[in-house]
Amino acid sequence: MKKAIGLALAILATAIVAASAQGAPKASAVATAKGYNCSKTITLPFVTPITGGAGFLGAEQLSWAKYAVKTIAPQLHLKVKLVGGDTPVEQGPAPAQTLAQKYVGTASVLAVLGPSTSGAVAASTKTYYAAHIAHISPSATRTDLTKSVGGTLEGTPAFFRDVPGDYIQGPSDANFMINSLHVKKVVILDFQEPYSLGLAGAVDSVLKAHGVSTIRLSAPNTTTDYSAYVTKVPSDADIVFFPTQKPGDAQTFAQQLIEQGKKAHVFGGDGSNDSSQFKQPGSYVSNFAPDITGIPADAKLIAGWKKANPGKSVGSFGPPSYGAAQIVMTAIARACHAGHGHATRTAVLHSIKKVSIKNWILGGSFKWSTKSNDPLNAKFYIFQIQSDGSYKLVG
Amino acid sequence: MQNFIQYTVDGLTLGSVYALIALGYTLVYGVLKLLNFAHGDVFMVGTFVGYGVLQELGGPMNPKVPIWLLITLVTLASMAVTAGLGVVIERFAYRPLRDAPRIAPLISALGVSFFLSNSMQLLFGATPRNYDLFEYHGGSLYLRGLHIAGVTVPLLRIITIVAAFVLMVILWFLVNKTRTGKAMRATSYDREAAAMMGIDIDRVIVFTFILGSALAGAAGVMFALRVPTNVSIGFIAGLKGFIAAVVGGIGSIPGAMLGGLVLGFAESYVQGYVPNGTQWSDLYVFSGLVLLMIFRHQGLLGRPDIRKV
Repeated sequence: MKKAIGLALAILATAIVAASAQGAPKASAVATAKGYNCSKTITLPFVTPITGGAGFLGAEQLSWAKYAVKTIAPQLHLKVKLVGGDTPVEQGPAPAQTLAQKYVGTASVLAVLGPSTSGAVAASTKTYYAAHIAHISPSATRTDLTKSVGGTLEGTPAFFRDVPGDYIQGPSDANFMINSLHVKKVVILDFQEPYSLGLAGAVDSVLKAHGVSTIRLSAPNTTTDYSAYVTKVPSDADIVFFPTQKPGDAQTFAQQLIEQGKKAHVFGGDGSNDSSQFKQPGSYVSNFAPDITGIPADAKLIAGWKKANPGKSVGSFGPPSYGAAQIVMTAIARACHAGHGHATRTAVLHSIKKVSIKNWILGGSFKWSTKSNDPLNAKFYIFQIQSDGSYKLVG
Repeated sequence: MQNFIQYTVDGLTLGSVYALIALGYTLVYGVLKLLNFAHGDVFMVGTFVGYGVLQELGGPMNPKVPIWLLITLVTLASMAVTAGLGVVIERFAYRPLRDAPRIAPLISALGVSFFLSNSMQLLFGATPRNYDLFEYHGGSLYLRGLHIAGVTVPLLRIITIVAAFVLMVILWFLVNKTRTGKAMRATSYDREAAAMMGIDIDRVIVFTFILGSALAGAAGVMFALRVPTNVSIGFIAGLKGFIAAVVGGIGSIPGAMLGGLVLGFAESYVQGYVPNGTQWSDLYVFSGLVLLMIFRHQGLLGRPDIRKV
């Protein structure tokens, strides 16, 4: 009898514990329904490659996001702490997934900047979406992150980007090759990672549709010496399209083409847009942002950023990061206002799409497309590298 | 035929750098039976030292000394700094663990590897560094060279290959024809017996680290003469060097040289001739190496591990 009573009590105790555990999320949900107290410090993570071959990208993006936080957050009466989350391109998507889980579990995170690379976005966006965390990338351009490609949509409604995707970049680059360079034969070398494969595929399909002969090559993204690939480039090829996220590799390829007496020029995507590393005269590069030093309205902003980053030059990856931080902080401020000093992740997510910015850092104004989480009327720019290493706008 | 010559030159260039890295692994393993996983990062430090010295000497655009002297000084400076680094690593990360179980120095080696790559990033940032030797005299180091059956073997590749082989010959001489080399061989064969014969083991080990690390420094410069470097380059370079050392027979100096060349040629020919070879070169090459290790556990020139029972 005693045993039976003991067993019953044990079952009862287990049931109570289980019931209270079941009830815990509800209690938590009640607490979070009110949202995060906006007078407290909000953590704004920026997921980007800080180390590895694309570390330059993260350094540039972080410097601009940091400047945005420093200058915009006080105007919006927010206390924001920017933190960097490292996703080295060499390690694939795993770090992005780990970071997403970490940020989901951090109450002070209301939205996220990045991830910067398409592969990292694809690996983590479902985690952010499940937690209703909006995330804005200033550089992930793969088409299927915002639009369905062949029935596949890798992105989620929580993912946004403030730069146009490869659905614009691919055709822009290919059409420039066809109409301005009059190419007959193009070698397309992908880097075996999502950004590169997507963009290479987009360019390949347009070129083929216009009767241009294409040859596909593929290199692991740990490759450092491209000699064997260069040997495979036919001597009558006009262009080698190489969408890499390591501008130094585009430079190496261009030099090794010359070394082997090949006449083809390298054409890089936005990932290789860095005039300090990719500077072989005659090469081409496309990018989602113009050179903002030519935009008069940005003069004061650039001067402020340069003061905060002495000795650094303005690249093309930084300004969209400033813009992304501006959008996120504006959305958080609006959610805080609507929630009377408290903001939930869901409220921030909903308010992102309503943000528009009059004096956009990339020129003109910024608005979201009504059809996808992409910017409205954005375009890609094509530059040719000059003999002094400067980038001249050609398309 | 032209392509074959081109792939052969590519393989020789790659292989000679792999061989120099592999020699560092094999020297340390031969004497200490330690897999020095920090070796790849010593190589990386070497590339950065070379870059710094190159800039101090005016860079490729405005060199303050003739180009041959410039490359020699850059290489020697890198070797000197990495040799010193090797001594420091041995003294502080490995010597205290010399009598510990084998796993302890292995963890220490991995720790040193992360310490070096992260410290370098802290000091110099993640931006890749390019020696930019293409800028020298309108690319003459790339465009001038030997002409073989319609293929130009550029001066820069010749410099890389010749320098690597000269260093290997010097190493062979040091190990086989000097008293210190004899002490190294004796220590490698039986450390306790060598100590009983009056050999200063600590001195031999320090000398081994000096040699191995200096070779890593030289390999770093040979590598970075042609392609950009960054703080994470040591991982892949170290991995390739380690594999080359194992393929050649770890502990064997000629084996490391051969292993490096075999790996370089295998990569180059697979990329050149095997269908989809550029895409899957690592798959093909490493599958081949797995087979090799299955049939020859000790590597190409390694000694079989015979145990008396």
